[in-house]
Amino acid sequence: MAVWDLSVMVEELGPEAPALKVSVTSDLHVGGVILKIVQKTGKLLLLFDDVHSLIVQLQCCAVYYSDDSDLNPTDIKKDWSDHALWWEQKQQWLLKPAWTLDKCGVHADARLCFTPQHKPLRLGLPNGATVSLRACFSSPVFRSIMGICRLLNIRHPEELSLLRPAEEKKKKKDTAQEELYDLTGVPLSAGLGAVVTLSDGMPAHFAESPEAEAVYKMLSVSQPAPAPETINKLYRPTSVVEKAQVNSRWLDSSRSLLQQGVQENSKLLLRFKYFSFYDLVPKVDVVRLTQLYEQARWAVLLEEIECTEEEMMLFAALQYHIGKVSLTEALVTPSPAMDDLDFALQCLEVKMDGESSGVDMLESMTAPQLHDYLKIFRPKRLTLKGYKQFWFTFKDMSISYFKSKEESFREPIQQMNLKGCEVTPDVSVANQKFCIKLLIPEPDGMNEVCLRCENEQQYSNWMAACRLASKGKTLADSSYPSEVQSIRSFLAMQRSVPGSNDAQTDESINTHSLVSPRYQKKYKAKQLTPRILESYQNVAQLSLTDAVQRFLQIWQALPDFGVSYFVVRFKGCRKDEVLGIANNRLIRIDLGVGDVVKTWRYNTMKQWNVNWDIRQVAIEFNGNVNIAFSCLTADCKIVHEYIGGYIFMSTRGKEPGETLNEELFHKLTGGHEAL
Amino acid sequence: DNDLDALMADLMADLDATEKLAAEKKAAAKDPHPTLENLHLPSPDHASVPAPPLPPAHRASSVPVPTPVPTSAPAPAPSSSTNPPSAENEEQAKADKIKLALEKLKEAKVKKLVVKVEMTNGSSKTLMVDERQTVRDVLDNLFEKTHCDCNVDWCLYETNPELQTERGFEDHENLVEPLSAWTRDSENKVLFREQEDKYAVFKNPQNFYLWKKDKKALKDMKDKDKELLLEENFCGSSIIVPDLEGALYLKEDGKKSWKQRYFLLRASGIYYVPKGKTKTSRDLVSLVNFDNVNVYYAKEYKAKYKAPTDFCFILKHPQIQKESQYIKYLCCDDHRAMTLWVTGIRVAKVSKAPISSPLTPRTRISRGPTAHCVVFSTGSRCTRTTRLTQPLPPPPLMDVLPPPPPDPVMPPPPPLPNKGGLPPPPPPSSVTKNRGGALPPAPVEDFPPPPPLDDGELPPDFMPPPPPAAGVGFYLHGGEALPPPPPDPVGLPLAPPPPGPPPPPPPPPPVGAPAPRPVLPAKREGPAPPKRTTPGLSAPSGGDFMSELMVAMQKKRVQQ
Repeated sequence: MAVWDLSVMVEELGPEAPALKVSVTSDLHVGGVILKIVQKTGKLLLLFDDVHSLIVQLQCCAVYYSDDSDLNPTDIKKDWSDHALWWEQKQQWLLKPAWTLDKCGVHADARLCFTPQHKPLRLGLPNGATVSLRACFSSPVFRSIMGICRLLNIRHPEELSLLRPAEEKKKKKDTAQEELYDLTGVPLSAGLGAVVTLSDGMPAHFAESPEAEAVYKMLSVSQPAPAPETINKLYRPTSVVEKAQVNSRWLDSSRSLLQQGVQENSKLLLRFKYFSFYDLVPKVDVVRLTQLYEQARWAVLLEEIECTEEEMMLFAALQYHIGKVSLTEALVTPSPAMDDLDFALQCLEVKMDGESSGVDMLESMTAPQLHDYLKIFRPKRLTLKGYKQFWFTFKDMSISYFKSKEESFREPIQQMNLKGCEVTPDVSVANQKFCIKLLIPEPDGMNEVCLRCENEQQYSNWMAACRLASKGKTLADSSYPSEVQSIRSFLAMQRSVPGSNDAQTDESINTHSLVSPRYQKKYKAKQLTPRILESYQNVAQLSLTDAVQRFLQIWQALPDFGVSYFVVRFKGCRKDEVLGIANNRLIRIDLGVGDVVKTWRYNTMKQWNVNWDIRQVAIEFNGNVNIAFSCLTADCKIVHEYIGGYIFMSTRGKEPGETLNEELFHKLTGGHEAL
Repeated sequence: DNDLDALMADLMADLDATEKLAAEKKAAAKDPHPTLENLHLPSPDHASVPAPPLPPAHRASSVPVPTPVPTSAPAPAPSSSTNPPSAENEEQAKADKIKLALEKLKEAKVKKLVVKVEMTNGSSKTLMVDERQTVRDVLDNLFEKTHCDCNVDWCLYETNPELQTERGFEDHENLVEPLSAWTRDSENKVLFREQEDKYAVFKNPQNFYLWKKDKKALKDMKDKDKELLLEENFCGSSIIVPDLEGALYLKEDGKKSWKQRYFLLRASGIYYVPKGKTKTSRDLVSLVNFDNVNVYYAKEYKAKYKAPTDFCFILKHPQIQKESQYIKYLCCDDHRAMTLWVTGIRVAKVSKAPISSPLTPRTRISRGPTAHCVVFSTGSRCTRTTRLTQPLPPPPLMDVLPPPPPDPVMPPPPPLPNKGGLPPPPPPSSVTKNRGGALPPAPVEDFPPPPPLDDGELPPDFMPPPPPAAGVGFYLHGGEALPPPPPDPVGLPLAPPPPGPPPPPPPPPPVGAPAPRPVLPAKREGPAPPKRTTPGLSAPSGGDFMSELMVAMQKKRVQQ
């Protein structure tokens, strides 16, 4: 067996250092080569006689070498366990230590590189933040993502994937300013055991340093609303074709990062790719839920998914609400039953504090009330022109009014029961106009009433009462104070200087940062506020978790939700068309008009093939329906992986503890290189 | 009221700082017993409930009888009685008592109606419904009182002769609310009848979700494909609304003319395409959202409003009882389109259910075939006492009370993944028919997952050598759908009978299966407004404590 010299670059020796020459034979194991490299590099203290046992040991422990080497003396203890051989020319890793060089196809002309498998990567998260962490560059991307998600504490990594960032126009400034969260110091636990979490739901590995804890906060708490310019500055797809472009940038799940030309420290985006969110449990999915919300929010803000104006206002209201409660509330909240109890106990305490006189007791027999002089205006009645002042009382769920305070013991002029009514604000802080518009259902239609309050304080109290009454709650309801508070804070929004671009603070926010640029252009911030306020009243009482889930629910209910677009050319057609891939169906879309031409559901699919030579995907459906198309905007591997991926998602079992069937995923998505 | 007195006394004792610990302990130990006693009181009444139906007159006279709801398990007894009297437990006992008191306070305010329900044969039954009862509960009651086959199509139907509308109440709705909206002289009726469209969407989801496909394909749909559709649309994190669109006629506000527009249904409401615009989302104009309106079938609008066809439906606030500009009148080309839209809107309304407690409502409906189970499954409702008297504070007269809107936070009607679509109706003479037949809508959670693709089913040439032209194929169960269908849903009618309530006495011999009667009974006995009971207004002796609590609450509010 001929002995020949293998040249190996060792990264640790520096980029300028000449390649190491290791004399090997063709039947030497890869593990043996590694041993020789390590020996040669560091004059290894040979602890193990047996190469194989060394390889086993290499996986888990550090190998020592003496300090008389020419390396930096501080590197006395060097951990080589993460290193592996990378064959640059062939773009492949030599990961099987028992394979001989011959079997790997390595000959004298090969130039190998001895390099760590885990390298730092800058990862753009759905919330826009960038985190630096160590990812595996040698395993298939699918597995690298599993590691990343484990570190970030996101369950169901199969739903996510990595996306190359869009080519940025040369703006050095932006990249320099980018804030980077560093997680490279946190070890990526290799085991498959459960991640240890602390009592507050934070995984233990984040507790190691204050910096790591800050990263966890960034991951698990939704980001403050962006400045309107930020939204404007970002790229927005304006057509289906542009929406299709993004899908060309997905990495191949079955090949490693290094194989796909991803270099150390380069930037990739982590995104939810398959819109089939399995087993979302707010309690354990804090990061997952937050990031999903962030991705959905940006999809809405950047018009990646279209919605109607009404839906946009609701999204805006929810964003505002989520932003507000995020400041005070954790995503996992104690159960409402406990709240009830707490409240009752508090009441008791109050009771014990205060002296209870007979008068008090008498008073308490009647429900709490509001009374004040307000002005009323009824648009539909010709008799009452303009606003007229009366003495109003609010009791239980109804408003009564009298000529004056003195007359309030008599029959009211009118009593209006507000249960089931529609309440809309008509407010302008600048003009000191505080009106409550009521649409009160009555057997023969809706009774339109407008109440005008004097000031913010009065308005907040009455508005809150009206809103609660419309939902069938009385003034005695425990949510009354918080309702008053939320109305006040919304009024504060109007007070904030219009046009200022401050990010979200305690009370004030620029409403332009809650809607997409289309509506930023269409409405002034001042006009937007009442519209959002209108939607806000329906969500103001939601807890943080509920609000986030409501946002996702509305997002998922949009007609275009979960459709990934590709520009394709169908066999036998001359024009380009769009193929939409969703979690249960394929959609053929006319590129010009945007109409759905045809829908095929996966459950009628018999088989699909990829002809890798002519890059064509062929699908057969029940009833001898055959379609074939070539992909124009993305590699057909990406399309293939999308279809296979969704099939895989639908096979996931219902048992929570089930392990991820990696093999099946690769079978369904890999193509001919998979196995 | 002994219990209330005792409870109050206990609490007063608690509050007294000088009270000895021993007394406290004694009181706590004593406490649960009166409570249990009280809650068990109504059970004799309950036993009589499933008795053969009485003529309406008799029932009407028995108004003050406790509601025919099976009283269920006793209230959760304060656990403290057995525990050592540590300070913590004391606190706990106090909390329990307060909770109990608060619940009683709520209980006293419960509103009840005597409702006359017209049967398909023109006769009617009268029953008492309290405001917490869902339509499902009432239906179960009716199943016990009548001898229908109890299939899923039975429903309560509201008709409004004035508007010529009708609507089936959803099972999860509360019945008292919409009925309270009726005017005093209303000729509205509640009918008990079979309606095929009630759960049509669960029997044939393809008709609604794949409505664009040709009719033959829809008819030949395989059961497992139907199940898959149901799972996709109803078992995900949110309920998917069918993506309906098409030209409908809209009666213009306050005008007589009908104008054709292109409408789209979305979860957030009904939209139309304004003139000269496309149907992209941003251009759509909202006609109405579903927060405050219900959908009603409209009858014979061709004659009444000169509608283009008789296939009309309206959207209105449940409280509106007469013609009004606030009603949206819509007209479809044919019956199928009308069913599509009405059902689609019903699904959309249900899809707005809150996420906060998706489990509670679903379990309520899906678990356990009868209301009895339902009552048991939701612990907090177990404390239903059945007292009619002692409301505190005195509630306003019912007539003044405005009708509440349909509660928008109601649970969705669950899908019915019944394989064949139709549940086999049990033999009418079976004693257990009530249980077996009162098929609750589908157990969503019980939906068996599609099993993972079986590797064995993948052909051996799964991993072919990479031949350039041949390509790689994934042969997925030649000819079969993918993924493999879930096994038959199990346990639908097999749910064990609830342990608690005594089984109903054997019903009298069947009166023959009620033939499905498509039309309303012709018999008219004049307007049949729901009779209203006016609960006694006297404050109970235990009121002092309640009032103290109220004071406490008020102070609390003032402080804030």
